[in-house]
Amino acid sequence: MNNINKQKLLKAFAVFQGQEVYLHSEATSFIFVRNFKVWLEEAMIAGEGPFRVALRFDQVGWLRTEGLTHYEATADGKLLLAGYDDRGRMNVALQLGKEPFPE
Amino acid sequence: MSGDRMKSKRKILAVFAHPDDESFICGGTLAKYAELGAEITLISATRGEMGRRMGNPPYVNRETMPSIRENELRKACDALGIQKLIFFDIRDKMVEFYDSERLIERIGELMEELRPDVVLTFHEIWGGHPDHCAIGKAASEAFRRKRLEGALYYISFGSAMEAPERFGYTKRDVVKVDVRKHLPAKLAAFRAHRCQTEIDEWVWLPDKEALERFGGYEYFLAQDRERLPLVLNGFFDT
Repeated sequence: MNNINKQKLLKAFAVFQGQEVYLHSEATSFIFVRNFKVWLEEAMIAGEGPFRVALRFDQVGWLRTEGLTHYEATADGKLLLAGYDDRGRMNVALQLGKEPFPE
Repeated sequence: MSGDRMKSKRKILAVFAHPDDESFICGGTLAKYAELGAEITLISATRGEMGRRMGNPPYVNRETMPSIRENELRKACDALGIQKLIFFDIRDKMVEFYDSERLIERIGELMEELRPDVVLTFHEIWGGHPDHCAIGKAASEAFRRKRLEGALYYISFGSAMEAPERFGYTKRDVVKVDVRKHLPAKLAAFRAHRCQTEIDEWVWLPDKEALERFGGYEYFLAQDRERLPLVLNGFFDT
């Protein structure tokens, strides 16, 4: 995982916009949702780090995530974002894939 | 049992939820009985893939976590002397939502096949995590239904069972295992679970200092004391 760079992350998001994507979203100590499928219209980034990301989907939908610090575009075409605390613990994650994540 | 090898090959089946349960909670005991010649099988219901600790500094992500933790568990099993490892491939945090009859059946099938002298699992109320309680409840029910020989014990945390009355038990229900000679193996197992223990600085201190952090005993609760010979310092009366 790399520290988030806004410009690079925007480019990574562009690959997923305007199509169906599978999402994994979690607030680690509280909830996770794995493999919900949406039509992703736009992905937006805000903040100077940690970052906030909002996904606009299906004309009526929002998914907003805050506390993101790291990202990685994987070799198998998935985009993983996570927020780690200063001792390496995950607080939050947001992941996009064109195929479902392993169940 | 005072360090003599056991008369016949004893078998232990540990039915836990996550990689590291075996090491963090009762690693000394598993190492002890492995050294005495017991054949130990570990069921891990999940790969701990929804864990929060990602290494320190973090090098794990949600998608790499299952294989990293599986490998860590294999190393921990080597450190403790656990010969056989079985994953149930249930997603971490979802054990309590897995079909409980199916879970009981799967555990029961393995019990019939392995014929363990001792089953170790979590207490269904005092397990400390929903996955722990769910796997413990299923393992206990499977053991009851199969009516096998042997005994089932619940693992417990730290030295809480020095005062079992707080949990509705008495000293008679508690087996206290002396693990003082097996703490180096337990420490090696802690370190095998690297992404989970990097956050705990003491684990990575020089051995002598790290070992001082461990208690010398691990405690177990008998599921059914009436069925057992009274053993004060171990699971087996041989």
